[in-house]
Amino acid sequence: MSALQAPTPPPSLANPAILEATDITKQFGGLTAVSDVSFTLPERSIVSIIGPNGAGKTTFFNILTGFYKPTLGRITFAGQTITRSRPDVVMKAGMARTFQNIRLFATMTAAENVMIGEHSGMRAGIFGSIVRTPRVRREERETLEKAHAELEYVGIPARLHDHLAINLSYGDQRRVEIARALASDPKVLLLDEPTAGMNPQESAQLTEFMRKLRAERGLTILLIEHDMKVVMGVSERLTVLDHGEKIAEGLPAEVRANPRVVEAYLGRSASVEG
Amino acid sequence: MEAASIPAQQSFSVERLRGLISKYGIIILLLAGPIAFAVIDLSDQGNLVRLGDNLVAGVSNGAIWGLVAIGYTLVYGIVELINFAHGDVFMIGSFVSASFFVSIGLHQGQEVFVLFVGLVLTLVIAMFACGALNSMIERVAYRPLRTAPKLAPLITAVGFSFLLQNVGLLWKTGSQQSIPDLINAQHTLATIFGVQIQNSAVLAIAVTIPLLLLMTTFISRSRLGKAMRATAQDPEAARLMGINVDTTISLTFAIGGMLAGAAGLIYALFQTTIWYFQGFTGGLIAFTAAVMGGIGNLRGAVLGGLIIGCIQQISDNRIGTSWTPAVVFGYLILIMVFKPTGLLGEQTRDAG
Amino acid sequence: MTARMPSLPAGENRRRLNIGLALVAIVVGIILPFGWPNGAPFIQDCAQALAYVVMALGLNIVVGFAGLLDLGYVAFFAIGAYMAGYFGSGFFDAINHQKGLHFLVGGTTAHLPGIHFNFIVILIIAAAVAALAGLIIGLPTLRLRGDYIAIVTLAFGEIIYIFAVNGDSIVIGGQPLTAGRQGISPVDPIDLPIVGRFGLLDLRPWYWFALALVVIVLFVNLRLRDSRLGRAWVALREDEVAAVAMGIPAVKTKLQAYATGAAFGGIAGAFLGSFLNTVNADQFQFYFSILVLGMVILGGLGSIWGVVLGAIVLSFINSWFIPDVLSTIPGKLGSTFDVTQITFGIYGFLLVVIMILRPQGLLPERRHKLELAEHDENDDSVATANESFYTAQA
Repeated sequence: MSALQAPTPPPSLANPAILEATDITKQFGGLTAVSDVSFTLPERSIVSIIGPNGAGKTTFFNILTGFYKPTLGRITFAGQTITRSRPDVVMKAGMARTFQNIRLFATMTAAENVMIGEHSGMRAGIFGSIVRTPRVRREERETLEKAHAELEYVGIPARLHDHLAINLSYGDQRRVEIARALASDPKVLLLDEPTAGMNPQESAQLTEFMRKLRAERGLTILLIEHDMKVVMGVSERLTVLDHGEKIAEGLPAEVRANPRVVEAYLGRSASVEG
Repeated sequence: MEAASIPAQQSFSVERLRGLISKYGIIILLLAGPIAFAVIDLSDQGNLVRLGDNLVAGVSNGAIWGLVAIGYTLVYGIVELINFAHGDVFMIGSFVSASFFVSIGLHQGQEVFVLFVGLVLTLVIAMFACGALNSMIERVAYRPLRTAPKLAPLITAVGFSFLLQNVGLLWKTGSQQSIPDLINAQHTLATIFGVQIQNSAVLAIAVTIPLLLLMTTFISRSRLGKAMRATAQDPEAARLMGINVDTTISLTFAIGGMLAGAAGLIYALFQTTIWYFQGFTGGLIAFTAAVMGGIGNLRGAVLGGLIIGCIQQISDNRIGTSWTPAVVFGYLILIMVFKPTGLLGEQTRDAG
Repeated sequence: MTARMPSLPAGENRRRLNIGLALVAIVVGIILPFGWPNGAPFIQDCAQALAYVVMALGLNIVVGFAGLLDLGYVAFFAIGAYMAGYFGSGFFDAINHQKGLHFLVGGTTAHLPGIHFNFIVILIIAAAVAALAGLIIGLPTLRLRGDYIAIVTLAFGEIIYIFAVNGDSIVIGGQPLTAGRQGISPVDPIDLPIVGRFGLLDLRPWYWFALALVVIVLFVNLRLRDSRLGRAWVALREDEVAAVAMGIPAVKTKLQAYATGAAFGGIAGAFLGSFLNTVNADQFQFYFSILVLGMVILGGLGSIWGVVLGAIVLSFINSWFIPDVLSTIPGKLGSTFDVTQITFGIYGFLLVVIMILRPQGLLPERRHKLELAEHDENDDSVATANESFYTAQA
């Protein structure tokens, strides 16, 4: 560590935890993908999970969002236990996510994709949809308007809103995916490698955008990232996983200098020289 | 804040229960019928001869389904597709066999040697024809649709199934056709504990077991077998390793077809009737067997076949032949619901 | 850019055009039968085609919208038909001391033994029971992958067929479950207030009734397609993982698809039961499921208008082209070959050809959107990889 003062942690880290995962273990048959990981996410913070390939980051994400049930452990979100909840229940509770490989709905337009994000907040049922009462009509209209609004918020120009999502550029597709997640008015946004495939300029735009999301919409953001510049630039706290275990957690500068972390990424010899 | 480990105790035991049901439930389900009937038999007749007869017939029938099921499972393992036309390839195998051995002049009562040579020749012809047929189906119905959504090749397979059925219909008309009983199928060879063992049973087992052993050895030892397993696991990686994926897939279909052809011959000799529609029901029965044993697993396919054969026989004998398909399908649905990976379940490429 | 009329915006313009076209189509549909003598086979074929349109629209919801490959749709046809057979014929002749059970029926029917309900009541019962069956059949398939769903639904369809065939030997309290291959016959013709009872020779009222069913079912389909539920179905079809992550409850949404699709099948089945004046087991074979599936695929999976077209085309190929046109060809070539013998071979061939040459069907879903995209300037698209979600590593 340098002779300078130890960095002061950002105030957001002191906020109460909106998401708490305790002693999460996940076994697939004989393979232990995640081992005894505890994790808290302070409200309105921007936090990253990093680690070398195969560390269990995406598995952990999938556990948090309900796609995998943990073998052991407990997860609470805003006071509600969601350990074994289905992904759609988790989403309704207030956690929205994007995916490592963009998963937009191929035969839908950008706007329609975003409208899916609003599904859980809408109320029209099967009979209402057939009969189309004035209330349902109004709900449809408002849902469409909100979809357009979210797309503009993420920077998609109006002329592209009614284009098929898969015909948009890669960067725009990423934005649409984020808009879709935002459309559900989540409290927490989980982004799985959002800058994959982006050039430095685009990555910088995205990190700026994340700050904007936190500031303007009070969101808490949890990232999985590989791009160290992004990680170091925007994260207020890092959690490092390796071989399914949490090996370090703390402020970026601290974690970066942690010999265990260096070893995990670069191998034993590197840390000895470190 | 949480210091101690808090395992999710309550929900864990629900999972455990579900796991137990999944694992043993199906075995219980399968044994329930036979055990119930065993008890009934013992109280009615004081012995298990009837059940024994059922089981012998079941195992020999089941061996045939096992052969067909291997074809399904091989193909599914490599392209993750149910070859809907497979059952009808089996039917064509029966038709080709029956036509061939009649045309070369085989008839009942000939010397064993002549029959033997004739039948081996028929076997070769049937296997060749069906292997080629299955390969052709792959070329025409599956290969062009490899990148299409899974629905597409399934539909073309159904289309081919109809085509083949129509071929059968035109070839031998819509009614069941009797064919010469070359091996004296009903002749009782031996009686063990009062249970009759007939020629047909011996034939079925005598052909299936060697073929199964041959297949498993082939898959695990030969180069093609290794190529097949590699392609089944990860086609991209296999391609990068220099394996010609297209050829491997074609050959897998060919082998599956050959086995279906062999099964067709045995079925013809066993049942002494053939019918253009036997492939539809037969295909579904064989598919049930493949799924029951664990799709992708060769031994499972044969095990599944034997089990389904027994279920069929018991149902035919106790409930009535017209209900048997419903019984088999009922088991199929139950397996899919409670244990889709089957008895010897293997993980296929996607975890589902 | 699409041409615009000077005063209206393009969207509103298109809507008016569509409504205009729809009205024209309905009017043409209504006056169509007058171009043929009453009782002409053509009108019979048309009425049947319309019933198949309803079936195909129902299957389209399950396979086209929600992407659930149902190969046992015949089950719902059977259920609907048997409801017409149970509640509109003399099948339950012993009931009520052989005096029969009647509900909202008049004329001579009101005194016949058996259960005789008003046909509209029968339609409602058929829809409800079929929907329930849809839930029961759909439930086991929920956690299965595509091809397995196909097999399970096929198995259910076959089980129902076997019960239909053997039902005459299942006797409860002296009453068999079905009439097997003999069939329940006759089935009450439709009898509506004001219009009166439909006859056996006067085919036009049947045709118009079927047309009315089609209009209603089309309306429901169009509304559902452009609704929250319709979008949810398509999302589930496109990418179930993403759909669920976005809050769509998979189980509930899929079951709604099964139930709705089944209800339409039941309605069409009840109509056909009455129209064909018989409900026998031979009508409910696997071939029928594939026939309807072929209509959906030929028309275009998920495309409402495509499916309507596909149903009409295939229905006429089945009822007119093959028996009346193709079958005359061998005679002209000096052969006695019976073309109807190769009906399902032709059909199988058609399926293969469509899937290989034009899998998107005659009127593909979203074609106007795709065409728009072709002229798109911003065409540096990157195909989204739809990889398997479950990788064992991060």
